Amino acid sequence: MAHKFEIENLNAWFGARQVLKNISMKIEENAVTAIIGPSGCGKTTFIRCLNRMHEITPGASVSGKVLFNGLNIYGNGVDPVMIRRKIGMVFQKPNPFPMMSIYDNVLAGLKLNGVKDKKILDVVAKQSLELANLWDEVKDDLNKSGASLSGGQQQRLCIARALAVNPEVLLMDEPCSALDPIATAKIETLIRKLAENYTVVIVTHNMQQAARVSDYIAFLYLGELIEYGQTKQIFENPKHELTERYLTGEFG
Amino acid sequence: MSRIIDSGLEELSAILHKMGELGYRAVLTALTECFEDKEAYNEVREISDILVSMAYHVEDKAFELIARFQPVASDLRTIKSYMKIAYDFARFGRYALDMSYTNQKFGGIRNCETWMISHVKEMGEKTLKMISLSIASLRSHNSQLAEKVAQTEREIDKMYFDLLDKLIKRAATTKCTVSSVLIVRYLERIADHATYICESIIYIATGQKVILR
Amino acid sequence: MRKMDYYRFRLIKDYAARFIVYLSLTVALIPLFSILYEVVQKGISTINIDFFVNPTPTVGEKGGGAANAIQGTLITIGLASLIGIPIGLMSGVFLSEYSEHKLSVIVRFFNDVLSGIPSIVIGVFAYALIVRSIGFSVIAAAFALAIIMIPTVTRTTEEALKLVPLSLREAAIALGVPRWKTILTIVLRGAKKAVITGILLSIAKISGESAPVLVTMGYWRWWFAGLNRPAANLALNVFVFAVSPFENWIALAWGSALVLILLVLGINIAVKIFTRERY
Repeated sequence: MAHKFEIENLNAWFGARQVLKNISMKIEENAVTAIIGPSGCGKTTFIRCLNRMHEITPGASVSGKVLFNGLNIYGNGVDPVMIRRKIGMVFQKPNPFPMMSIYDNVLAGLKLNGVKDKKILDVVAKQSLELANLWDEVKDDLNKSGASLSGGQQQRLCIARALAVNPEVLLMDEPCSALDPIATAKIETLIRKLAENYTVVIVTHNMQQAARVSDYIAFLYLGELIEYGQTKQIFENPKHELTERYLTGEFG
Repeated sequence: MSRIIDSGLEELSAILHKMGELGYRAVLTALTECFEDKEAYNEVREISDILVSMAYHVEDKAFELIARFQPVASDLRTIKSYMKIAYDFARFGRYALDMSYTNQKFGGIRNCETWMISHVKEMGEKTLKMISLSIASLRSHNSQLAEKVAQTEREIDKMYFDLLDKLIKRAATTKCTVSSVLIVRYLERIADHATYICESIIYIATGQKVILR
Repeated sequence: MRKMDYYRFRLIKDYAARFIVYLSLTVALIPLFSILYEVVQKGISTINIDFFVNPTPTVGEKGGGAANAIQGTLITIGLASLIGIPIGLMSGVFLSEYSEHKLSVIVRFFNDVLSGIPSIVIGVFAYALIVRSIGFSVIAAAFALAIIMIPTVTRTTEEALKLVPLSLREAAIALGVPRWKTILTIVLRGAKKAVITGILLSIAKISGESAPVLVTMGYWRWWFAGLNRPAANLALNVFVFAVSPFENWIALAWGSALVLILLVLGINIAVKIFTRERY
């Protein structure tokens, strides 16, 4: 399988504080890669560097290369807005736009970028909601406010919204941590289904979730990449002692 | 730092050590019975039954730990291996019982030819040594000790085939032939299981799946 | 103290506190209601068709209305809003969305200073700047009122925008929406209620200003005659007529005061209607 991302010597700072140290790694296409590690190890910062969201925080900076489909997204003249249309993101706390209906929420990315054709919009809305396993639950209520859904549904709505702009990659920052176990299970099933057609990178502090959902694992500790490998190998026989200690719960 | 799962793992480890000692005793008793005029069948039977029920207990406990704690990495390898090792110890009891049964039926090999007696005695000692080695490496999760076992295993295999060769060449009474063949067969199987135990120890310690035979 | 006694003691304290609170509320509302009562009582008799149709009477003329004052007030406030609202809005957006910019500290500081300057001083400033060259005029008055308006609009807009959670902005940016569009659509739309409330309330505020109007326009008796000439103004009329010796003037003063209060009331009601929950 081709590498969707090739990350070379990625460093990131908040002001003077360095949060990511010299990370180099490859991310496989059409697979789920889970980023795990104790709190504060830089997981969220890492994926925010993949779609150039890290730099919108005042004082944040980045060095190194992130090659996406071979192109360095931090190169000169690269438009971050275009990058973010190809690399979507779902956040920890579901954040549907409360002043929009479900229908408008799903299509927010398209409408705000000028797509007006109602026929196209209808089709995309239905497809995206189906992809996110939400269509059956909301198809009769598309005009209700986006905020009127349950937490799990809201998160699936956010996933549908991210998918509607037809990205190649979906970045997920602890998407289930605000949800109950049943809603979590639904989203985990969804993630495995999405991996057939999208590259998914998920940050999670729940090791069992990482084990259930991912094909590859990257273990970060204090801003450094300690180990990267296939999920089966990491969970059965990790190579690095730190990884072993983290997985067996000695710290976290 | 002590974790919740640690007490479960320690419990399993304690049971396994007990099983190791019992297994050694069973084989020793059955082996001694070959050369002496002492009935030991009931004693060996009792030990074997205990070993079997302990093996079931280990399996149950291991499954409980898996269901409750979703162990990974070395914990997972440990639990998987403990289940196998428990089965292997139970096998010691079972083969010891088989040996004792053979002794009951054929009267042991104390009345057989000298070369036969010394051959079986030597094999028996080597086998007992292997059992001790496997118990020691379990105690310390020491993979280097475990590798030593490969050497002895080869020796036992060789002795097994040697006996068969000798029996074919030299005539011996039917009783002794059958009896000695069965005994060395059981000893060879016990040695095999001791080897499996050592392979499991190596797997726990290093994650490598090796074949020590 | 026994348990029951202590419980009763707490009950008494509770009732006492509640009583004090209600009493304070009443005391606070008394001025409002007494003003309303006074104005309505004195002014209601003047409110008739004439009031809305006739211009202000001269000395000695009988009857008359405040039609031209209403017209003039609307034009002046309209022009002031046209100037003040966009500037205030954009400043508010800048302070809220681009707060990492070096200028924002300066802008915020001067905005705070401006909001504290007395309106008469602003009026005099407008006098010096515009009246000296163009003369007393609607333009000068609108200019002064706009300046009075700007800090309020800026502050309320900034506060309103800050209430929109960061997560909504991030969601839009992650969808590949450019920052300016995010601000226009998501942020402003999300804060629509609060922003419009702030704007309408600042309009209500300037509609009652009389001192700056006095020094930039002065008293005008006729209909609207061009932006470079003065126009009639309701608040100013109250000021001028109330202490005059003419009965009909005094009545008109009360009527104008009533209209002003109704205007403010109307704006507040409009705000409530406009910002009701839709879902």
